[in-house]
Amino acid sequence: MATIVSPLPETRPHDAPHPNVATANRRLPGVHDYDQVDREILGTMRPTGGWFLALGVAILFMLIGACTWMYQIYWGLGVAGYSPPVMWAVYIVCFVFWVGIGHAGTLISAILYLFRAGFRTTIYRCAEVMTVFAVMTAGLFPILHLGRPWKFFWLIPYPNWRLIWPQFKSPLVWDVFAISTYLTISATFLFIGLLPDFAVMRDRERNPIRRQLYAQLSLGWRNTDREWRHFTRAYLFLAALATPLVLSVHSVVSFDFAMANTPGWHATIFPPYFVAGAIFSGMGMVFTIIIPLRRFMGLKHYVTLNDLDAGAKLCLFTSMVVGCAYLTEFFIGWYSGNPTEHEFWWNRVFGQWWWAAWIMLLCNMVLPLSLFWQKLRRNTIWLWILSIFINLGMWFERFVIFEPSLSHEFEPWQWHYYSPTWVDIAILCGSFGWFFMWFLLFIRQMPIMAISEVKEISPRPQRRRVPHSPPVTATITPTVGDEV
Amino acid sequence: MQGIIGSFDDVDATVTALRELRRRPVGGDITVFTPAPDHEIEHVLDNGPSVVRRYTLIGGLCGASFGYWIPIWVSRYWPLVTGGKPIASWIPYTIISFELMVLIGGLSTVAGLFVAARLPKLTMTVGYDARFSGGEYGVYVACTPERAREVEAVLRRAGAEEVQYEQ
Repeated sequence: MATIVSPLPETRPHDAPHPNVATANRRLPGVHDYDQVDREILGTMRPTGGWFLALGVAILFMLIGACTWMYQIYWGLGVAGYSPPVMWAVYIVCFVFWVGIGHAGTLISAILYLFRAGFRTTIYRCAEVMTVFAVMTAGLFPILHLGRPWKFFWLIPYPNWRLIWPQFKSPLVWDVFAISTYLTISATFLFIGLLPDFAVMRDRERNPIRRQLYAQLSLGWRNTDREWRHFTRAYLFLAALATPLVLSVHSVVSFDFAMANTPGWHATIFPPYFVAGAIFSGMGMVFTIIIPLRRFMGLKHYVTLNDLDAGAKLCLFTSMVVGCAYLTEFFIGWYSGNPTEHEFWWNRVFGQWWWAAWIMLLCNMVLPLSLFWQKLRRNTIWLWILSIFINLGMWFERFVIFEPSLSHEFEPWQWHYYSPTWVDIAILCGSFGWFFMWFLLFIRQMPIMAISEVKEISPRPQRRRVPHSPPVTATITPTVGDEV
Repeated sequence: MQGIIGSFDDVDATVTALRELRRRPVGGDITVFTPAPDHEIEHVLDNGPSVVRRYTLIGGLCGASFGYWIPIWVSRYWPLVTGGKPIASWIPYTIISFELMVLIGGLSTVAGLFVAARLPKLTMTVGYDARFSGGEYGVYVACTPERAREVEAVLRRAGAEEVQYEQ
């Protein structure tokens, strides 16, 4: 048996720099101390004229949507273009679109946290907020789709008075479980991450009413070592639970269609295809939101070009996965030798739905290929324009999946054409108004970046007054092209 | 609770004070206030793994079990055989089970955080100062008035900006 005759050397000398594993040792060259972080991030919460204007436009759109919904309740679902065989129209398209948008938040927050992706730190709060409000928006559409929306509670799986429960083998019941779990876990994840920031706001706020509000929301958070120790673990476990949840939710949404014996839907490729599409569309919406925010809120030294570059690479990758899924579907339509499938795919791409299919292919497959060029990945104007095309393309992707299938089933006498009415379009605009209204209200009440996490990647306060110990030098390695 | 709170404007002095206090325990419990989680301080304190993981595990297992139990019970409550298929089919029920595992596991994790970190706090924490959520660090050492001078000396030697006796 070996005998230790002298103390073991310390594996981590005191003065060695300690890499921060949780943030991939990322640094912000333009950020110099913690006070700057507090000042600049809390400074984004001051309302400006542009913010009031944007909020006004969002509320106007929401009101248009609300009035249109009342009109639809009065006259019935026929005004939304519902006629056999197309009984799921723009509302189901919007539902899947908004659930997809909601995917990027938890993806960026949870999956990139587990993978230690450094670019996550400054954009994840924005993406998480986007998730919660996007899922809230998606949740409206099953209710809008009801002829009698006041009976919405029938959607909740509970037994009737004869104790007959809903069918647990139905994808629609799985959907209720998946979406409600996703909304709950995403909102919890967002709230837990906000706790230390509420404490910062409580300690900096001068208005007594707001200070009291932040004190309540912070739950008495005091930044103690005990709190941080359990907080970091809880955050990690929530991320670990949320990661498979992200993958499962859109898989379950895809089962709504893949389980049906309808041409174009009954395909095993749907779950990965939907998940990749959701991540892609979510990243598109993140760019749509974060690029103006960093420009108008003076956050260019937090959300750097390197971050956008990394996000654009993820966007490009998911675009290629989605493109591969499109081509696989077309190939199987031809290779299966099934005349129904073959006819259906021909009709979808070259027949009556060609315009929608080609908008989808152009926006989701062709234009994102521009991101192979680094110059375009780092060009914020192009990224923003591209993100609008991605949002458009992903909305049309869902349109192309649902409407052609319903309007072109097995029997030729069922074949029909569907075109959205003004009610559909007004409700779609209203959903954007609803989403952006909540988002704009949020960014004036809560910090759009996680203050404590940004502090983790900022230079720590260094030794100045104790000369007998050499100072710890923070490793700040600006990357080429970083905006300072 | 009586004790001494020392505030530091840099992390190295805080770590030096903590190392000294760990080496020569002159007081009781130590509480450190930091603006952000710090691996170096966590390493010095060496408090062991968090108990939150047990809450996550137990919550997740309960959620998964409940997620299987409810559809199986429901199916057997009104047993309608369709096409010779099993009344309780575990494959579709796995989806319910998985979702409830994540839901209950996630909520248990939050409950574990609240229990372990003693949240929500309804009263003020002794020694806490608003500066500790900004850019300064605080080390609070519980001690009796007799040991106060000794603790104060350790904190000042390490580079504390300000030392106060709290009671």
